Amino acid sequence: MTVFKTFLKVLKSCKGTIILYSAILIFFAVFNTTSGDNTTNFVAEKPDVFIINQGEREGITKNLIQYFEENANIIDIKNEENAIRDALFYRDINYIIYIPENFREDFLDHKNPTIEVKSTGDYMASLADMMLERYLKLANIYHETFASEEEIIENLNKTLSEKLEVEVTSKLDTDHLTQIANYYNFANYSLLAGCVFVICMVLFSFGRDVVRKRTIISSMNYKKYNRKLLLSNGLFAVSLWAFYVLVSFFLFGSSLFTIHTIFYLINSLIFTFCALSIAFLIGNLVHNREAINGIVNVVALGSSFLCGAFVPTEYLPDFVLKIAHVLPSYWYINTNERLKTMEVFNFENLKPIFLNMGVVILFILLFVVMMNFISGKMRKTNS
Amino acid sequence: MKNVVEVKKLTKEYKELKAVNDLSFEVKEGEILGLLGPNGSGKSTTINCILSLLNFSEGSIKIFGQEMEPDAYKLKEKIGVVFQDVAVFEELTVIENIDYFCGLYIQDKGLRKRYVEDAIQLVGLEEFKKFYPKQLSGGLLRRLNIACGVAHKPKLIILDEPTVAVDPQSRNNILDGIKTLRDQGTTIIYTTHYMEEVEILCDRVIILDRGQIIASGTIDELKKLAKLEEKVTVEVMELDSKYIKEIGEFKNVEDVTYHEGILLITYKKGKNNLVELMDYLKNAKIQYNKIFSERPTLNDVFLELTGKELRD
Repeated sequence: MTVFKTFLKVLKSCKGTIILYSAILIFFAVFNTTSGDNTTNFVAEKPDVFIINQGEREGITKNLIQYFEENANIIDIKNEENAIRDALFYRDINYIIYIPENFREDFLDHKNPTIEVKSTGDYMASLADMMLERYLKLANIYHETFASEEEIIENLNKTLSEKLEVEVTSKLDTDHLTQIANYYNFANYSLLAGCVFVICMVLFSFGRDVVRKRTIISSMNYKKYNRKLLLSNGLFAVSLWAFYVLVSFFLFGSSLFTIHTIFYLINSLIFTFCALSIAFLIGNLVHNREAINGIVNVVALGSSFLCGAFVPTEYLPDFVLKIAHVLPSYWYINTNERLKTMEVFNFENLKPIFLNMGVVILFILLFVVMMNFISGKMRKTNS
Repeated sequence: MKNVVEVKKLTKEYKELKAVNDLSFEVKEGEILGLLGPNGSGKSTTINCILSLLNFSEGSIKIFGQEMEPDAYKLKEKIGVVFQDVAVFEELTVIENIDYFCGLYIQDKGLRKRYVEDAIQLVGLEEFKKFYPKQLSGGLLRRLNIACGVAHKPKLIILDEPTVAVDPQSRNNILDGIKTLRDQGTTIIYTTHYMEEVEILCDRVIILDRGQIIASGTIDELKKLAKLEEKVTVEVMELDSKYIKEIGEFKNVEDVTYHEGILLITYKKGKNNLVELMDYLKNAKIQYNKIFSERPTLNDVFLELTGKELRD
C-alpha cells in the first residue's frame, strides 16, 4: 500500500490538469449536442441563379426562365459588370445565365444557339449547370421529333416535371450517433493528454535518479515495486476511461443503449491502454518535469489534429491523412467514424473495425517493446 | 569486533578507465569509517558497488558476512543510505516522505509510526512535519534527506557527503545526529570533503585517490605520515630577507615562506618551536600582530601523499 498511497498523493498534485482536460471534453460534448444534422428525410437543394435575358420573354425562352424559377432561387441584382462580379465573389449567387437576344429564333431554326454562363465553380453552381444542360439537351431532342414550339414545350415540361421520390430508409439515429462518435473522437485528446501528463509526472517523481537508487537499495523487491507502480498507473488510466464513459452516459442517456455503444467502449478501452503504453514510453525517455507539458501538447494535440479528433477526416488533406496512418489515434478515430454509420452488425461489416482495433493493439505491443529496449539500454548504461 | 563490511580486491572498470583499482578494506562493527578523497577518486563508485547499484569487474563485497547482491533483500533491511543529492518527493510533506521511505522496509504501521517520529526527532524537524520540501531551506532539506535514509533504524549507514552546502546550524545538527547514531551502536561509512568533520567524527579514515587507497588508519596514525609536525604562522608587516634566512637555519625547520605579510614556518618535528621563534623575534625587535601554531591537518597529509589539495 505504501507505493499506491504515494502514487495517489502524486496524482493529487495533478488534479488541476486532469480537471482541465475533462472540462474541455465535457464542454466540447455539450457544445456538440446543440449542433448536428439529422438526415431522416430528403429535400432537394436549390442553387442561387441570376438570369439575364437579352431577348423577349416568349416561347422557349419564357419556358427556360420558368423552369429555373421553379427549380432554383432566382436572385435579382443590378445588371452591371461590377455588381455581378461582386455577387459571384461573395457567393450571393452561384450561377449566371446569359440568354442571347435571338435565342428563341435560333433554336427554332436549328442554329444551336449558345447560352453563356458564369459560375462560382462550387457544388451549387455545378447543380445549376446540370439543370441547364439537362434542359437544353431535352429541348434539342424534342425539337428533332416535334415541329411546333408548343409541342416541344409541352413534352419538355412533362418530362421535366417527373420527380424522383427519395426516401431515407435508414432507421439509424444518425444525429445522436454522430454526437457520440464526436465525443469519443474528442476523448482521444483527453485520454491521451490525461494519461501522458499524469503518468509522466508519476514516473518522474518515482523515477528520479536518487529516489530510484533509494528504492533499489531498499528491502522491497524492486520487480514487485515496479509491478505495483505499473498497476497503479493502469488503474488510473482505466478509471479515467470509466469516468469519460460515465460522462457520455450522462450526456447522451438512452441514445447509448445500442450495440454501437459496446464497440465505442471496447474501442476507447483499447485506445486507453495504447495511451498508457505511449505514456510509459515517454515517461521513460523524459527526465525533465518542465518538458512534460510541452510533450503532452505535441503528442495529444498533434495527433488529435492530424487524425481528425477535432476536424472531421473528410475535411483533412490527403497528405495529412497519409501521415496520420502512422499514429494509433487515426485507427481509433476511424473505428468511431465507421461505427456511426453502421447499421448491420455482421462479420463482413465488422471486419474493418476489428482490423483497426488490431492495429491499435499492435501499436501497444510496439510501444511496450520500445520501452523495454530503452529501459534495458538505460540499465546497461547505469551499471 | 566483527567486520560489518568486507571489501576484497574490488575493481571497477569503465572501458579503459579503472574507477576503482584493487581496493580492499573492512569496516568494524560500531565504528565510523571516513572515506576521504577528491572528486573522481572513486568514493562514490566504491559506495555504489557496496550497495550493488553498480556491477564490478573483480573482487568481492560482504556485508554482515553475506555476499551483497541486488536481490539480497534480507541484508538490505540492515542498510541505510543517505545520498549527496536530496532524494525526496516534492508532492509529499516531511512526515509523508519519511513514512514512505521507511515503508519500503517496515510494513508494520504502528512500528513505522514510532520509527518516523524517532527519525524526525533525530534530525530536529519536529516543527516542520507538515511542510513540503519546497518550503524548506537547503539545510532542513538535507536533514529530511538523512531522516528518510535512516528512519528504518539500519545497522549500517552509508552517508555520502551529507553536509554539502549546509548552514552551520544544520551542519551541527546533522553531526550531532550522526554521533547519536554511533552511540546507539550503528556502523557508519562517511564520505566527505570536510576534514574537520572527519576529525570530529571518524574513528578510522581511508584516503582514496585515483581509485586506490593511498593511506588508511586513525587520524593520529595518518598525521604521523606527514613529514611535518608543526606549522607556525606570524603576521608581520615588514621583514628583511636576512631574518628569513636566519629563521630558515633554526633546528627542525623544514621550510620558510614570506608572502603578503604572512611568515609561514614548517617544522619537521618538535613541540616547543614557538617559544624559540618568539624569543628570536623579540631579540631582533621585529614587531608582529599575531602568532600561532598549528598541528598538521589531514589536508597536509593528503598534500604530502598526493602533491595536491583534497578539494582539487
